[in-house]
Amino acid sequence: MGVGLKPWFEARGVTKTFGGVVALDGIDLAFSPGEIVGLIGDNGSGKSTFVKIASGVYQPTRGQVFIEGKEVRFRNAADARRAGIETVHQDLGLVDSMSIVRNFFLGAELRRGPFLDLRRMRAETNKMLEEIGLGNLRDLGQDVSRLSGGERQAISIGRAVAFEKKMLVLDEPTSALSIAETEKVFEFMRRARDRGLAVVCVMHNLAQVRDVADRFVVFWHGKKVVDVANEGQGEEELASYIIKGKLSELGLSENAVGTGVLRALAQE
Amino acid sequence: MLDVANTGTSPAPAGGAGGTARTSRLGGNALVFRLLRQRETGIIAVGIVLFVVFSLLSNGTFDSVQNWGGITSAAAELGIVTIGVALLMISGEFDLSVGANFSFSALVMAIMVQDHYPPGAALVVCLAIGAGIGLVNGVVTVVLDIPSFITTLGTFFLWTGVTLIVTGGETVTILPPTPTLLNVLGGVLSGQVRSELLWWLGLALAVGVVLQRTVTGNWFFAVGGKRSAAVEAGVPVARTRVLAFVACGVLAAFAGAVQLGHLGSMSASFGTTYQLEAIAASVVGGCALMGGRGSMLGAVVGTLILAMLDSGLILSGVSPYWYEAVVGVILVAAVAMHTRVGRLVRGGD
Repeated sequence: MGVGLKPWFEARGVTKTFGGVVALDGIDLAFSPGEIVGLIGDNGSGKSTFVKIASGVYQPTRGQVFIEGKEVRFRNAADARRAGIETVHQDLGLVDSMSIVRNFFLGAELRRGPFLDLRRMRAETNKMLEEIGLGNLRDLGQDVSRLSGGERQAISIGRAVAFEKKMLVLDEPTSALSIAETEKVFEFMRRARDRGLAVVCVMHNLAQVRDVADRFVVFWHGKKVVDVANEGQGEEELASYIIKGKLSELGLSENAVGTGVLRALAQE
Repeated sequence: MLDVANTGTSPAPAGGAGGTARTSRLGGNALVFRLLRQRETGIIAVGIVLFVVFSLLSNGTFDSVQNWGGITSAAAELGIVTIGVALLMISGEFDLSVGANFSFSALVMAIMVQDHYPPGAALVVCLAIGAGIGLVNGVVTVVLDIPSFITTLGTFFLWTGVTLIVTGGETVTILPPTPTLLNVLGGVLSGQVRSELLWWLGLALAVGVVLQRTVTGNWFFAVGGKRSAAVEAGVPVARTRVLAFVACGVLAAFAGAVQLGHLGSMSASFGTTYQLEAIAASVVGGCALMGGRGSMLGAVVGTLILAMLDSGLILSGVSPYWYEAVVGVILVAAVAMHTRVGRLVRGGD
């Protein structure tokens, strides 16, 4: 377990504004090797914005990002990938009109001299797809648009896992998957953690996140309101973290509204 | 074959049901399925049909070697412009200024040659102007976040106006002896074959290899197919888009130089319809208007079909005034065909 280890990635006071809208407000958050961190919160809470900053797609308006204690400034996603961060975005980051192989290696193409090493790209893709249980996708030249939602999601996750970097970030990785497919994704995440990667996943499904995360971080209106280890909390308790976040923003405490009210809200 | 690997079916809704086990309405005929997956297959079939029909209607004059020498020569300059326009459309952008670029760049070259500057230096200046026009189009589109349709419509008017101001509307003619370089660009190689045909096909092959076999080519498809995914994958999207504009500009200027080599003269009125014809040829050849799909094989076949129509209608005794009308019909029919065949291959809707 990586909890307690020296952080590999650290955000200090990260703020992101879009025009007058504050999407993230002074976030301090660290991820260590060998842990799975679940980011939870309502829609618009800032989880995906944080993921986009961690993956270099957005640049913070204020605040700093550190990798292994050294400050870094990602100008784009390529910088983050070079630093060792692979991301599966909510939209899966796949180009529908391109083949499976070309999508798999997009932005990290294998070369032989000035040309694409398509043979090696095909072989590597095939190997990885076998590993993630999609070995039946024989036609790797087919467009991604021809795949089902589950297959597309698996390709996107498989691509991130295949590159074996230092940190794996997944934004809603199981939203289009069946129970069996979801379990497979969790297995990947656990394997990545056991290999010493920091794994960060954004999830709406609280039942799922408690199955896989070692630590929960709750976002509310662009702020980090809870950061606790997974000690077997139930779904209701996780939901109550979100409610507590709302209460703390309103300046109310748990005691002020009463445990019963809190539980009722969480059940809702 | 130039390149056909990345030219699959029309886009399906994201995450659509089906997947690997999906069967198409074509059943299990793998060869037919694979052929239909190439967007060029249908349009090559249309080209063959047009060839047969015009050959029958023209009493053997259409399919003569002499006529094909004329068709390919007439198509070459438009063909070179179309290579650039198709590349740009694959990257999700348009360039309506290629016609103005074509005449302005070549006019500067013509004036320099006329004034006894070394022809090689004049060609370099011509290509540099083309690259500069493309660079301006790209930077303005990317940095100011303006649709390229608007940016290049503006630069089309700008460069057309500048060309008229520079030349006063006069044709610039290179007097004999013709410099060797101009013969290399557009002279007769042997019989009916002019060098411009080789330039056209050679450039199509070269750009086809870049598109299909290099990282930059992969990025052109990605940026045009889904820009957000390209950003998330770390593709240098802005640089790739600007590069596509520059390549398109250089190719338009080179087409102008080739025409100067062929005709020995250049005028502001030359190439004025090329922007629309090049877009039409690209679309007929399978380039998607929204980007992400297309090929150099399609760009060549699309151009050839337009040239065949031009020649075939005249030799079949049809008034040449019908040319635009027929191109319009073929354009819409080609898009409908690409869409329908794509759906048939997907086996869904």
